[in-house]
Amino acid sequence: MTKKTTKLPETGQWPDRVAPAVLVAGALLTTVGFLMAFLVVPPVGGAAVGGAELIGGSLISNKLLISQKIFFFHMPVAMVSFCALAFAAYYCVWFLVTREQRFDTCAKIAMEISLLFVVMTMITGEMWTRFEWGVWWTWEPRLTTYLVLMLIVIAYLVLRNMIDEPERRATFSAVIGIIAFVDVPICFMVTRLIPSSIHPVVVREGGMSPEMGLCVGVIMAGMLCVGFALYRLRFRQVRLEQRVEAVKELLED
Amino acid sequence: MNPILVEIYSTVIPSAPYLIAAYALLWAALLVYVLMIMRGTKRAEAQMRLLEEAVAEQASRSRSER
Repeated sequence: MTKKTTKLPETGQWPDRVAPAVLVAGALLTTVGFLMAFLVVPPVGGAAVGGAELIGGSLISNKLLISQKIFFFHMPVAMVSFCALAFAAYYCVWFLVTREQRFDTCAKIAMEISLLFVVMTMITGEMWTRFEWGVWWTWEPRLTTYLVLMLIVIAYLVLRNMIDEPERRATFSAVIGIIAFVDVPICFMVTRLIPSSIHPVVVREGGMSPEMGLCVGVIMAGMLCVGFALYRLRFRQVRLEQRVEAVKELLED
Repeated sequence: MNPILVEIYSTVIPSAPYLIAAYALLWAALLVYVLMIMRGTKRAEAQMRLLEEAVAEQASRSRSER
């Protein structure tokens, strides 16, 4: 009977060959999305004003909410953070199944990427919250579950620095990586499950016009490309560092 | 100025700093991560070059000893 060998992710494979083109595509798509958000998608109306005025061929009778433009990047980066966590959990499971350190490396990098996008989501969300709600922070269900998610991702990366033994470190990290992913559906569904949540749910409320949907789609595709390219760049760096360490050990022997 | 227009545009200027900060910080976070990767890669490549030189030196020394 032949033992089935697991194909390990490695640098120089097809993802690395397409990564530069994907990065350029990501930069282009996010730039197009940015321009669309400000030049194509009309501003969302807020509270009604005491009359109406003709602006750009449309009769406007509400306050124009320019702060809503933050949403066009806020939602896509949040979705990319969820995608990165899904990949991290996938590699965590693969590590627990195969005990191959390479999968642990992949999971660590995916977690880093997810932390980057979580931070970007938090920054954009905070700016919108401060202006629209008048506070920097509120213990609202979506914000709270997302904060918990961020803390789990940070805990994952802190834990990695605290354990020296690679096998133990990878096992504990894999478990935390899977727990972090469990928080993703909770985080996503919490505004639908708790009616008192004041966080906007645009998809459920049908609040997106076709132009808004297209703009969000373009930026999300762009951010997915950026996330993928960053993952491959970081993977290349980490593998190079691992090779340096391996050669150093050989020379010392 | 038309009071209705004033009311329609009343949130535009006050929200501008938050809007600009959101976009600027978002790209700054991405840029910082890219710079960290580039710095790390350059350092690792430099270390690899040094190791290659050390290996080549060791190989030539062992050849001359033989």
